[in-house]
Amino acid sequence: MIKTAFINNIPFNFSEGEMILSFVRKYFEKDYIPTLCDAQNLEPFGSCRVCTVEVALQKNGNTKTVASCHTPVIEGSYIYTHSEKVNKIRKNIVELVLTDHPLDCLTCEVNNNCELQTVAAKVGIRDVRYPEGKNHFDRKKDLSHPFMTSDLAKCINCFRCIRACDEVQGEMVLSMAGRGFDSQIIKSNNNNFFESDCVSCGACAQACPTSAISDVFESKSVIYDKKVRTVCTYCGVGCNLDVAVSNGNVKSIQAPYDAEVNNGHTCIKGRFAFTFYNHPDRLKTPLIRKNGELTPATWDEAYDFIAEKINEIKSKYGPDYISGISSARCTNEENYFMQKLFRAVIGTNNIDSCARVCHSPTATGMQRTFGTGAATNSIDEINNTDLILVTGANPTNAHPVTGAKLKQFAMKKPMIVIDPRKTELARYAKYHLQLKPGTNVAVLNMMLYYIVEEGLEDIEFIKNRTEGYDEFKNHILNQNINELEKISGVNKELVKQAAIAYAKAEKAMSFHGLGVTEHLQGTYSVMLLSDLAMITGNIGKKGVGVNPLRGQNNVQGAADMGCQPHQGAGYLDFTKPEIHNLYEEFYGVKLSQKIGYKIPEMFEAMVEGKLKAMILMGEDVVQTDPNSNFVIEALSKLELLVVNEIFMTETAKMAHVILPASSFLEKSGTFTNGERRIQRVNAVVDPIEGTKPDGQIVIDIINKLGYKQADYNPETALEEISKIVPFFAGVKWNELGINGKQWPVMPDGSDTKILHKETFKRGKGKFQTATWHESPEITENKKDFPYILTTNRELEHYNSGTMTRRTNISQIVPDDVLLINPVDAKKHFIAEGDMVCVMSVRGKIDVKAHITDEVEPGILSSTFHFPLVKMNVLTSEISDTEALCPEYKVVSVNIRKSKGVYQNV
Amino acid sequence: MGRKILLEKTGIENINTYEVYRREGGYSAVEKALKKMTPEEVVEEVKKSGLRGRGGAGFPAGMKWSFIAKPEGVPRYLLCNADESEPGTFKDRFLMEKIPHLLIEGMILSSYALGCNTSYIYIRGEYMWILRILEKALEEARQNGWLGKNILKSGYDLEIYVSPGAGAYICGEETALIESLEGKRGNPRMKPPFPAVKGLWQSPTVVNNVETISSVVSIVNNGGEQYASIGLGKSTGTKLISACGNIRKPGVYEIELGISVEEFLYSDEYCGGINNGKRLKACIPGGSSVPILPHYLVTKTANGEQRLMTYESLADGGFATGSMLGSGGFIVFDEDQCIVRNTWNFSRFYHHESCGQCSPCREGTGWMDKVLKRIEYGKGNMHDIDLLVSISKNIEGNTICPLGDAAAWPVASAIRHFREEFEWHIKEPVKCLETNYGLVKETELEA
Repeated sequence: MIKTAFINNIPFNFSEGEMILSFVRKYFEKDYIPTLCDAQNLEPFGSCRVCTVEVALQKNGNTKTVASCHTPVIEGSYIYTHSEKVNKIRKNIVELVLTDHPLDCLTCEVNNNCELQTVAAKVGIRDVRYPEGKNHFDRKKDLSHPFMTSDLAKCINCFRCIRACDEVQGEMVLSMAGRGFDSQIIKSNNNNFFESDCVSCGACAQACPTSAISDVFESKSVIYDKKVRTVCTYCGVGCNLDVAVSNGNVKSIQAPYDAEVNNGHTCIKGRFAFTFYNHPDRLKTPLIRKNGELTPATWDEAYDFIAEKINEIKSKYGPDYISGISSARCTNEENYFMQKLFRAVIGTNNIDSCARVCHSPTATGMQRTFGTGAATNSIDEINNTDLILVTGANPTNAHPVTGAKLKQFAMKKPMIVIDPRKTELARYAKYHLQLKPGTNVAVLNMMLYYIVEEGLEDIEFIKNRTEGYDEFKNHILNQNINELEKISGVNKELVKQAAIAYAKAEKAMSFHGLGVTEHLQGTYSVMLLSDLAMITGNIGKKGVGVNPLRGQNNVQGAADMGCQPHQGAGYLDFTKPEIHNLYEEFYGVKLSQKIGYKIPEMFEAMVEGKLKAMILMGEDVVQTDPNSNFVIEALSKLELLVVNEIFMTETAKMAHVILPASSFLEKSGTFTNGERRIQRVNAVVDPIEGTKPDGQIVIDIINKLGYKQADYNPETALEEISKIVPFFAGVKWNELGINGKQWPVMPDGSDTKILHKETFKRGKGKFQTATWHESPEITENKKDFPYILTTNRELEHYNSGTMTRRTNISQIVPDDVLLINPVDAKKHFIAEGDMVCVMSVRGKIDVKAHITDEVEPGILSSTFHFPLVKMNVLTSEISDTEALCPEYKVVSVNIRKSKGVYQNV
Repeated sequence: MGRKILLEKTGIENINTYEVYRREGGYSAVEKALKKMTPEEVVEEVKKSGLRGRGGAGFPAGMKWSFIAKPEGVPRYLLCNADESEPGTFKDRFLMEKIPHLLIEGMILSSYALGCNTSYIYIRGEYMWILRILEKALEEARQNGWLGKNILKSGYDLEIYVSPGAGAYICGEETALIESLEGKRGNPRMKPPFPAVKGLWQSPTVVNNVETISSVVSIVNNGGEQYASIGLGKSTGTKLISACGNIRKPGVYEIELGISVEEFLYSDEYCGGINNGKRLKACIPGGSSVPILPHYLVTKTANGEQRLMTYESLADGGFATGSMLGSGGFIVFDEDQCIVRNTWNFSRFYHHESCGQCSPCREGTGWMDKVLKRIEYGKGNMHDIDLLVSISKNIEGNTICPLGDAAAWPVASAIRHFREEFEWHIKEPVKCLETNYGLVKETELEA
């Protein structure tokens, strides 16, 4: 219902429950009413009182002064925003604040960018009537942290940093100590930033109206020539970033408030881990291996070398002896050209991408149940749901911005976490099903069993929207629950409670990560998650669905663009004649219909001599693919290994040709985030001298091999893509706007927030069954290797760490550690920080121990961010039976205290 | 002799023990309520009684109770505010120390009326010995079946816990009290939402003063109408007044609301007049936060009417010539007292107790303290007086909680009524030393 109130005697409409400040801002400029403690991504707080206005219940009636930020508008009331009284109050308050704020504006970091300064000017402060008294100007600066800084002499106690830490990140590191005039911001237990529990998200620095909390890049106030909006290159959340550039150099990064994805927030990596881009280690010239040595060459020499070799191998063995791995870190357009290079130019379907080693089971599983292997809903629907199920994901580390939203949710509403580790979310969750690694299928079957047994199915939804339910129900009810309880190690009563909570929630949303997919039964687990959603009717509306947390910035896009060996661009099945014809017509060449090798199959083929050449676009398979020694053996058999890279990685060291590529800051294109949102990546700076965007490199090779392709240009590339990828039909570079569009994008340009609304992509949703099987990794090795190692990620680093290790993040997290339960540590006489020798049937490594109850006894956990540790020497080549995603999450190992000494890189 | 309700039995030996309290008719109200009355009927009696909140604001208790939200499946809480910290106020301490079971009986009745199964007594940390008295009394009540499950087989369950504060005046403000009870820093919350909708643990909550809750016992025993028959107009019942300052008989008195200030101040039944034969200079009738009254406005209003001990009469004349009944902290100043020094003393208190959340209060209380100190030390100038007025106006009404008002009113009223004395401090700093205005040497003050 529309209601009216008067602002300075002019009537305006407001909605019920609206606060005066937001009401006024709707019709006047943002700073019409000055404020200090108000911030756009924080709840009203009402402490600065600068936003005070006068309100009368009737015209010329008695007025009352109220803080406009937290006072609801009353119908028919008269609000006076700039009465004499109000102006005086504002001026006097700011004057009082200035009595304890150093007036050294000219030399202050935020001079000219200071909200206090602006407000002081606006309210017309000319002098401060108070004599000099006790103040806090002598507080020491805190420069302990590689990124965060504080200078609390400048603090005006507006609580914005504390609220940002609580409400945005949910870390609760900052708080107010002392009372009244002695109140001051403290970090953790009055530590400095470095020693505190700060996760360096920078939300406090961005929120601070003065320079009391800032960062080493002076992001708030840095002097820049231009600010460019682009998309983060790290995880699949797809944060929008505002990058400040001066003299062609990146100066700082801030998170724009109008970004739908991240609403003014981002994480340590997005905000601070950009300095890798001009690190001295950047590769700046093509290198060709001559007499065993990588020697500098010109681009033409490198291209000629590659073309010659490719043609030679192609004529000698055939096109199927050549393979490529594309990169989920690169743009859609680059991925599209990469698969086009292989399909249309070389003539093989041996093209895959790192989606294989993370969410390929999600794609396969959800295609079988729903028809589309992508997130069904959008992240912001976290605000519209009643319960969240998080399976095998640690988003507070791996998807920090979504993780923060999930953490905020878990503090208020019920959450179920299925994870072998006591992750941060698990600590907040109402139900934590702490299962043994590799038993997702068992636990999910238990949940489904209890839902059926309790009669909590959504009969209507099942009847109208799905098929195969009777068979499924039969299968589910035949599960031996006691047996599954023993297998998974999770109390069946707890599983029952969680299952009932999930089924009874009006709207339940499911998120999952690599803890679901990187298993022998990854695809089956995904299908059971789909079953859970279907059996409870949690599909096709707001606040529900099955939502994979995609790992890399563009892993969704790499698969969308056809960088997989069994489907072309747009997931079309080229084994079908009509699709095959469509592609042939579109590319104007003859194409192969033979399904290509998936990544693990490529390495096997190399060892067997069936693959002779490989082009890697920015992929470090040696460090990140499982069973490193096997990967190294496979690559060493190649006649041609081409690597596009920005740094010399473990893989690049084995290459015959290295082509120096440009980073995300140096190129344009689009990334598709985990919620199918196609967003514009805009070049912030020119490519570092000597480098080229991957897209241009691929196009150069395409042209060198005799196919005509115009130079890399995202606009024309998208035009081509929109003609062949059905769900990109309406995508146009100039129409993507600042927040992008979620596919499918219709020809008229309208996009899609929620999938499967009326019908499923495949028509009816298909119930799929699964029976738990133990991984051969365990059955074969558990006698000699009784521990289970599961791999994970740290917040601070990203994957192989190529980029993050080349920033000051390495001062915060300098190495991989092995998480080990105190019970196991005691058994092996391992103390905190000791080196531990971890052995699997494939090899052994040394890693530093961190004793924690995050893992249960018998379970170990570690990361593979550092090449020195070589964690993937241990991991197995066993893969998901359906999608061939490697089983990184279950490795049979044994441990002993190492004789090795800790080495810091 | 006026009728006594709260202090009626405090003279009985060992009334602080359960046996004596019960022997004297204690807990009969609980029996009556739980056996014969519905919760709504108890609320109705309290409404009829006209009982007003005794913590200071004087809001009708029955009405406050009827505001409590009753959403399905959400617990409700009663919190007893025993964080008595207002300078000049010490009535709750006396009541809890002398007759702890009266409060507990009142808590049971009030919790029953509100439908609370868990209630808390939030007591100021400095009252640790009273906390022990209350805990002992609660244990006695529990052992005798007045607390716990299924009290008197009525199906009603109740637990009462005592929780101490840690020395912050601000935690007597109801939302700060709630924050503190939740284990957080005692910062007041914004309203709305009001505690009756979202209070402790985001559940509907009523916060009542010790005296208010204790008064419920008599209301249930004798009926609301009987209670309302005591007092005058909308000031019904009796009120505890803690009298202090330059009077012959300082102490805690229970008065029937409606007696004259003159009677209270000068009769031997109460304060017994000014000490040592001195003359009255000023009086603060309701605790340090309320406006100070000069001698000519204490027993008479500006209209020349007799000033009565009621909410209405004490407020007669508004802030210009009136004050407030407040929490009943009756502070009397004789002719030897220095108003500037006293005002500074209060300002120092509020400066120390401001939580620091709202900028006007955090900075403003500090500056009032500093400027008053300067004037008291004979180093002020004439602008300082206007500066003080400006600061007090700036704080008043411009903060989340009423601590800002409480800090502003004493300064504003002292200047309003004793401006000459402030000016004199500035003009004649040396002369002050020789007079009864009490300006003292800086060294003496800082010792």
